[in-house]
Amino acid sequence: MVKRVAIVGYAQSHHQYDMQKTREDMVFEVAKEALDNAGISRKDIDTVVTASTDFLDGRTISNVFLSMAVGAYMKDESKVEEDGASAALYALMRILSGSHEIALVEAHTQASTFNPHQVSFYTLDPLFDRQIGLLNSVSAAALQARMYMDANDVSEEHLAMVSVKNLMNAADNPNAHRRMPDLSVEEVLDSKLYYDPIRELTMSPISDGACALVLASEERAREITDFPVWIEGVGTCHDAYLRDRNLLRLDSLRKAAEDAYKMAGITDPFSELDVIEVSERFAHEELMIYEALGLCREGKGKVFIDKWVTQRDGELPVNPSGGALAADPVCATGLIRMVEAAKQIRGEADGHQIPGAYRALAHGQFGICAQKNIVYILGGE
Amino acid sequence: MPYIKDKRPETMLLEGEWNVGAYKYKAPHLLEEFVQGLKEKKLIGSMCIGCGKVIIPPRNICGRCHQRMEGRITVSNWGTVVCFVTSPPVEKGKFQVFGIDPVESGLIQEGSVLIPTFVRFDGADANIVTELCNVDPKDVFIGMRVKAIWAEEPQGQLSDLVGVEPI
Ligand SMILES: [Zn+2]
Repeated sequence: MVKRVAIVGYAQSHHQYDMQKTREDMVFEVAKEALDNAGISRKDIDTVVTASTDFLDGRTISNVFLSMAVGAYMKDESKVEEDGASAALYALMRILSGSHEIALVEAHTQASTFNPHQVSFYTLDPLFDRQIGLLNSVSAAALQARMYMDANDVSEEHLAMVSVKNLMNAADNPNAHRRMPDLSVEEVLDSKLYYDPIRELTMSPISDGACALVLASEERAREITDFPVWIEGVGTCHDAYLRDRNLLRLDSLRKAAEDAYKMAGITDPFSELDVIEVSERFAHEELMIYEALGLCREGKGKVFIDKWVTQRDGELPVNPSGGALAADPVCATGLIRMVEAAKQIRGEADGHQIPGAYRALAHGQFGICAQKNIVYILGGE
Repeated sequence: MPYIKDKRPETMLLEGEWNVGAYKYKAPHLLEEFVQGLKEKKLIGSMCIGCGKVIIPPRNICGRCHQRMEGRITVSNWGTVVCFVTSPPVEKGKFQVFGIDPVESGLIQEGSVLIPTFVRFDGADANIVTELCNVDPKDVFIGMRVKAIWAEEPQGQLSDLVGVEPI
C-alpha cells in the first residue's frame, strides 16, 4: 500500500445470549470504549462505517436510529449490510482516498432478537430453494461438512476436536460467549444433533454482541498511539451462490488470502504468520479454512488438528480467542477477529496471549457456506 | 411494434411470503419508565447532563454529546403544536391506532378526520407524535396551545396518552 493505515483503538462487548440492553446501548458502549481506548473523542472522527443487516436488526434502513449511539450524529456515515470486517475495508478505502484521516468502524447483531438461521433462509433463491424448503444455513453446512468429510476421510472426532480447541481457548477470553474449560470430545459428540453431522457444539452459538475499532492514517496514528497495528494487506472475494460452486473448497477465501498475502509481501504464510483468527461458523469450516489460507495442502486440514499445530501452544495458533464457535454476533464476528488479532500484536490479549505475536491474520465471512470472504494481514511496528 | 397488452403472454408468478413477525425488541428500563409515568399521568423525559436537552419519549443516549442521558425529568402536560396534518376521511377497517380500529371501536365516527400532530410539551426539546382532538381542523394553527388528554383509567401503556386538545 502506498499510504499506511493503522488500527489505533478497539473495543468489544461481553458477547452473550440475550443481552439485557437495547441495541443502541450496546453499540454506544463499544463505540465509546473504542474511542477511549484510542484516547480520542467523537469530534476527532471524520467518518463512521457500521455493519449490520436490516433483517437481524428488525428494522429497515437500520442505521436510522443508530447514528446517535455510534457517534455519527452530523458526520459522514454509511452502513454495510454484511460483516464488520467489510465495513473496515470501506473505512480503510476512505482513509486511503485522502478524504478522511480517522474512521470509526462498528458492527453488531443481537441474534437473540430474531433467529439468525431463519434470516439465512431468506437469503436463499426464492424461485427454487425457498419453494422446496429443505435448505437453511445449518442444513447447507451439514451438506458441505458431509461432502468434505467423505472426500478427505475426516471423522466427526476431528470436528469435535476443533470445537474442543476453540471452546477451551475461549475459557480464557472474558469477551467470549461459550467458555468451556473442561470440554471433552465425547461431550461435543453427545451434544444435540441438528443436521448430521452438525451438532450444538460444532456450530456457532446465537450471540448478542458488538465490536468497534478506530482506524487512522499513518500520520494521525503516530500522534494517537505508540502501538499502532498496521493493516499490511487485505483481500476480499465473493463466490457464486451455493448451488453453483464447488462446496468442497472455499475458493473465494483462497483468492482473498492470496490477494492479502501479495499486498503484505507474504510468500510462506505458515512460517510468516504468528497467529490467526478466523470466522468458523461450523467446526468443519476451520479445517477448510486452513487449506484455503494455504497453510496446508488441500484435504489435509485435519492433520493440523491431529498434530496440535493450531492449538494455543502449537506452531501456528488459530483462534486463541475461541473464534466464532465461542461467540457469533453475526455481523460483528469478523470485526471481532480483527480486534483479537490486534490485541495479540499489542500484547493485550491477557489470558489468551500468544507470546511474541507480531504478525496476524484475521478472517471474516458472510453468506451461506462462507460465500464471501475477507482476509486482513495485520502487523506491529 | 406498438404495445398491445392483451397479446403479451403472462409471466409465471410464484406466491412468496416473507414472514418476519416474530422479533423481540429489547427495551430495558427506557420504555418501562416512560409507561409507568403515563400511568400516573406524567410525561417523563430523559435529560442530558452534557447539553441540558430533554428528550421525550426518553432516549438513553445523547448523540450530540455522545454520552448517556442519565437525568430524568417530568415535563408539562401543556404544550404547543409544532406541526400538524389533517387526514382524509377515516374509513372502517383501513387503519389502526395503538393496534385498534378507531372507527370500529367507536372512538371516532366514520367519515370524520384525524389530526396527527407534533406536540412540543413545555420543558421538552423534542416532539411527541399524538392526535389533536376536540377541535375543528379549520381552527388549528402552528403554535396553538394544547394540553394532554389522559385515559380515564391509565394502565401503564402508550395509549394512556390519548392525545391533546386546545386549552
Ligand atoms: Zn447532550
